Amino acid sequence: MSKTKHYSIERKQARWGFLFTVPCLLFFAIFSFYPIINAFFTSLTNRDVLKKSWKFIGFENYAYLFFPDKYGTNGGFTLWNSLRASLTFTMGTFIPMVVISLILAVLLSQLRSTRQKGFFQISYYMPAVLSSVVAASIWMILFDPRGLVNQLSNWMMHTEGRDFQWLTDNTMLQVSTMIVYFWKYIGYFVILFITGLASIPPTIYEAAIVDGSTRWHTFWKITLPLLKPTIVLVSIMAMLQCLKTFSTQYMFVQNGAARQPIDVITMNIYFTGIRMRKIGRASAMSIVLFVIMLLLTYVQFALSKTDEVDY
Amino acid sequence: MASNTYTGKVTVMEVLVWILLVAVVLFTLAPIVFMFVASFMDAKQILSMPFNWIPSKSYFTSADRTFFTNFHKAIWGNNNSFSFPRNIVNSLVVAITDSVTTVLLASLAGYGIAKFKFKGRNFVFMAIMATMMIPFEAIMIPLYMVASGMRMINTYQGLIVPFMVSAFGVFQMRQYLITFPSEYLDAARVDGLNEFRIYSRIVLPNCTPVVATLGILSFRNQWDNLLWPLLVAQSEKMKTIPQYITKFSEEKQTDEGAMMACAFIASIPMFLLFACLSKYFIGGAAVYESRKG
Amino acid sequence: MKKKVFALLVSLLAVGSMAFAQGSQEAASKKEDNSPITIEFWTHEDANRQALEDRYIKEFQETHPNVTVNVTRQSAEKLIELVGTAFAAGQGPTMFNLSINDERPLIDNELVAPMDYAAAGYKDAKDVVDKYAAGSIDPVMKDGEVYGLPLELTQWAIFLNKKVFRDAGLDPEKDYPKTWEDMVEVSKKIVKRDGDVLTRRGYDFRYKYYLENNIPMVEQLGGALVSEDGKEAVVGKDAWIKFFQFMKDWGPNGQNLGSPTYTAARKLFNKDNGDIAMCSTGLYQEARILHDNPDFYNSGEWMVVPYPKFKDAVKYVPSNYYGHYYMVNASADERTRKAAWELIGYMLSHGDEYLDKVGLVQPSKALFESETFKKAPYSDVFQSQLEQGHIVYYGANSTAIQSALDTAVKSVMLQGVSPEDAYKQLKQTVQELIDEQ
Repeated sequence: MSKTKHYSIERKQARWGFLFTVPCLLFFAIFSFYPIINAFFTSLTNRDVLKKSWKFIGFENYAYLFFPDKYGTNGGFTLWNSLRASLTFTMGTFIPMVVISLILAVLLSQLRSTRQKGFFQISYYMPAVLSSVVAASIWMILFDPRGLVNQLSNWMMHTEGRDFQWLTDNTMLQVSTMIVYFWKYIGYFVILFITGLASIPPTIYEAAIVDGSTRWHTFWKITLPLLKPTIVLVSIMAMLQCLKTFSTQYMFVQNGAARQPIDVITMNIYFTGIRMRKIGRASAMSIVLFVIMLLLTYVQFALSKTDEVDY
Repeated sequence: MASNTYTGKVTVMEVLVWILLVAVVLFTLAPIVFMFVASFMDAKQILSMPFNWIPSKSYFTSADRTFFTNFHKAIWGNNNSFSFPRNIVNSLVVAITDSVTTVLLASLAGYGIAKFKFKGRNFVFMAIMATMMIPFEAIMIPLYMVASGMRMINTYQGLIVPFMVSAFGVFQMRQYLITFPSEYLDAARVDGLNEFRIYSRIVLPNCTPVVATLGILSFRNQWDNLLWPLLVAQSEKMKTIPQYITKFSEEKQTDEGAMMACAFIASIPMFLLFACLSKYFIGGAAVYESRKG
Repeated sequence: MKKKVFALLVSLLAVGSMAFAQGSQEAASKKEDNSPITIEFWTHEDANRQALEDRYIKEFQETHPNVTVNVTRQSAEKLIELVGTAFAAGQGPTMFNLSINDERPLIDNELVAPMDYAAAGYKDAKDVVDKYAAGSIDPVMKDGEVYGLPLELTQWAIFLNKKVFRDAGLDPEKDYPKTWEDMVEVSKKIVKRDGDVLTRRGYDFRYKYYLENNIPMVEQLGGALVSEDGKEAVVGKDAWIKFFQFMKDWGPNGQNLGSPTYTAARKLFNKDNGDIAMCSTGLYQEARILHDNPDFYNSGEWMVVPYPKFKDAVKYVPSNYYGHYYMVNASADERTRKAAWELIGYMLSHGDEYLDKVGLVQPSKALFESETFKKAPYSDVFQSQLEQGHIVYYGANSTAIQSALDTAVKSVMLQGVSPEDAYKQLKQTVQELIDEQ
C-alpha cells in the first residue's frame, strides 16, 4: 500500500515537473517550432514575398540549390559558394580560436597572482562587451587602406605604402571577418577554458610533480586528456556560433565590401529572402543550415558520450 | 615583469609568455582605445598616416569644435531628431525585461527537466535543445508574420516577447540544477511546501551565480540585437541603440568621428554593467562547467 | 544673417501655403463622414526633406482634423527591406516611396492601388501624364492607370571641386573631363598616393549603383543590359569587355585611380577637404552642400559638368535617371486611400519648394518652366541630360541584377578576373534572372 502511495506522489510530482516546462514549451511552440515548420512548408513552394499566388513545387528548390549547373546560380550567389564561405569562416575562426584560447588559458592559470589573472581576463573579455554593430564600425575604419591595420601591416612587413587590400582582396576580406570575430570572442573562450582547468582537482597535478614529470609532459599527459570534454564542448559551441555568424559580414557588405567571398549561408538566406524576395528558395537554404547544425550537434553528443572522463 | 617574482628567477620562457599575454591585451584593447580617441577627431585625422593617437588640441578650442560636433551629432542625430535618449531607454527596457523573463522561465523549465521524471521528459528536453539549431535568419519572416498577427509591430511587446526565453538558458539551468542536492527538496516536501513554493523559495534563491550569468548573457544578447528590431521597431521612437548606430554607417551620411562618438556613448551602459558585475561576466558563461566537475 | 533671411523665407512660404491649404479645406469639409483616419507614411531619411514634409503634414492635418499621419523614417536601404517584409506579411504602410525598381514589382503584383485622380487634384490618368515631363509617368503605368506620383526624378552629373583642380595645375573651366579617357588622364594628374594608398582621388564611381552610373557607359559603346525585346541579357560583347577593361584599369590592379574600399566619393565631396575632386551625384547634392558646408557652397568653388562619354562612343548616353514615386497601399480602405492621395497631392503641389530647399526635381512641366528651376545653379546641365537620357532598368529582378553587376565589376577590379570571364559569368547570371521573371 505504501508503495502505491509513493507511486502516486511521484506521479503527482511528475505532473508538476511537466507543468513547469509548459510556459517554455508554449513559447517555443509559437516562436520556434511554428516558424521553422512554416519555413519548411515554404521551402516546398515557389513563394515570392510579394506575390499573392504560389504553388507547391516539391523539392525543386532543393534541387535548384544543389545543382546550380543544371538549374541556375541564384543570381551568382550559389548555396555551394555559401557553404564554402561558411566552412572557411568556421574553420578559419574556430580552430585558431580554440587553440589560442586554450594556450592563453593554460598560461593564465599558471599565474599565481589573482590580480594579474583578473586583469588579463577582463582585458581579453572587453571586446565581447561591445555590440557587434559597434565592433564592425570600428574595424571598418581600421581596415581602410589608410587605416591603422594597413599601417601596421606595412610596418611589420617592412614595406612602404603598400595597400594590403584588407577589404577588397578575396582572401584578405575573409581574413578580416575572421579577425573581427576572433577579436570579439577570444576572451569568452579563454574564460570557458579557465573554468574547465579550474575544475581539474589540484591533487592530480601534485601527484604528477611527485612523479617528477616536467610541465610540458604534465600538460600533454594530464591536463589535455582531462580537459577533453571541455574542449569538445567548447569546440562544438564555437563551431555552431561561427556557422550562425551574420552581423559582421552583413555590416561589411553594407559598407561596400564584395559579397561573394564572405557570403555565408545566413547572409545568403537574408539576401535571397528579403532582397530577392525568393522566400521559398531562402527557406530551403535555412532548412539546409538547420540540418547541418543538427548533424553537428549529434556528433557532439556522440563524441562527448564516448569520451566521458572520470576524475 | 618585475611583479613576476614568484619563481625568483626569470627564465626566457617566462619572458616570452609575458610578451605573448601582453600582446594579446594590446590586440583586444587597442580597437577600444581607438574608438575612444577617434570620437574626438575629425575624419581627416582618423585616417591620417601615420596615425596619431592623441586628438589634436585644436578640436577642443571654440574655433574648431570637432569634439563638440561629434558628440552633438552622436546624441542629436544627423537630423536633430534627438531620438537617442528614447532609443537608449528602449534598449534598456527590452534588455532588462528579457533577462528577467529568461531567468524565470528558463529556471522553471530547467528545474522541471532536471528534477522531475515525467513522461516525455527527454523528448521535451531534446525539442528545446533543437531550437538552438534554428538560425534566426531562417525564421525571420514567419516570425514577423506571427508578430504582426499579434499586433506587436512597433510595440515593446514586439521587441521583447520573441526573446523571452532561450534554449541555451534552459540548457544552462538544467545542467546547473541537475547537481542540486535532492535532499533539500525532499526535506521541503516533508515540511509541506507545495512544488511551486519549493521552486520559488528554495531552488531559485540557491542558483544566484547561474541566474546572474544567464541574466547578463541575455541582457547582452538583446543589447546587441539588430536584425529583429530592424523589422519590428519601425518608428523612430521605438528603435533601439544598434539601429541608431547603423544610421551613422550609411553611405551618404557616414561621419567617422560622429560614428565613433556614438559607438562610444552606446557602449557606456555595457561598460558600467561590466565594471559592476565583472565577476559574473568572467565566471560567466562557464558556471555550469564548474559545477559539472 | 543668412539664417535670418532663410527663416523669413520659410515663414513667408508657410503663410503662403497655409492660405493655399485653406482652399482645399473647403472642398474636404463637404464630406459628411468625419470619423478618424490614420495614414501610416514610410519614407527614407533626408534631413532637408524632413523639415519640409513635416510642415506640409502639419498643414494638411490642420485642414483635415480627422486625419492622423504617422511618419516613419528609415535609411533608404532599410526601407526597401522593411516595405518588402511588411507586404509579405500582408501589412505595409498606407503610403510610401521607394526607388522605381523596388516599386515596380508592387505594381505588377497589385499590392498598390491605382491613383484616386480627383483626390490628388487631377482629372484622369491622361491629365497626370500631360502634366509631367514626357516618359516620366511611364514606369508607374499599368493598364491605363497611374499608380504613383514622382517625389523625385534624379539623374547624376559630375560635380567638380575647382580648388583641387587648380591645386593639380589644371584649369577647371577648360580641363574638365569630357570623355572617359579624359577622366583617366585628369585623375592621373590629380591623384596623390602614399605608396599604393590613395590619399587624393580625381573621380571615383559609386560602387553600389551600377544600373544608374555604369550601364550608360556600356550603352555608349553600343552594348545594353537587356535587349529591346527583353529576352537577351548583357548584349554586345565588345562593349561589355571594353567597359570591364576600363574598370580594371581604373582599379588598384591597373592605374590605381580609385577603388570601392575608399570612402564614397560623394560623401567626401561636401567636406571640401581636398580628398576628392569629382563625384557623380544629382541636383539634390547642391542642397546637401549648402546644408553640410555653407562656406563651400557660397565660395563658388564647385561646378557641375555633364556625364562624360567614351571617345569612340556610338551615341551619347548620360547617366540613367531613377525615380522615387509616392504610392498607396491597395489593402487600405477606400477613405484612407483617398486621404492618402489628398496628402500626396498636397505635398507634391510644392514642387518649387522641393527643388529650392531639398534639390529634388519633380518632373512636372510646370516646374521645368518655373523660375525656381531656371535659377537653380547648373540646372541647365541637368535639364539637357534629362532630355537625352532614359530611365534606369526597373524589372522585378533589378536588385539581383544590381548585385550581379557588383560582383562582376569587383571581380575584374579587385580579383584579377579577366574581362572576358567576367562578361561570360555576368551574361549567364543576368540571363537566368531575366528568364525567371
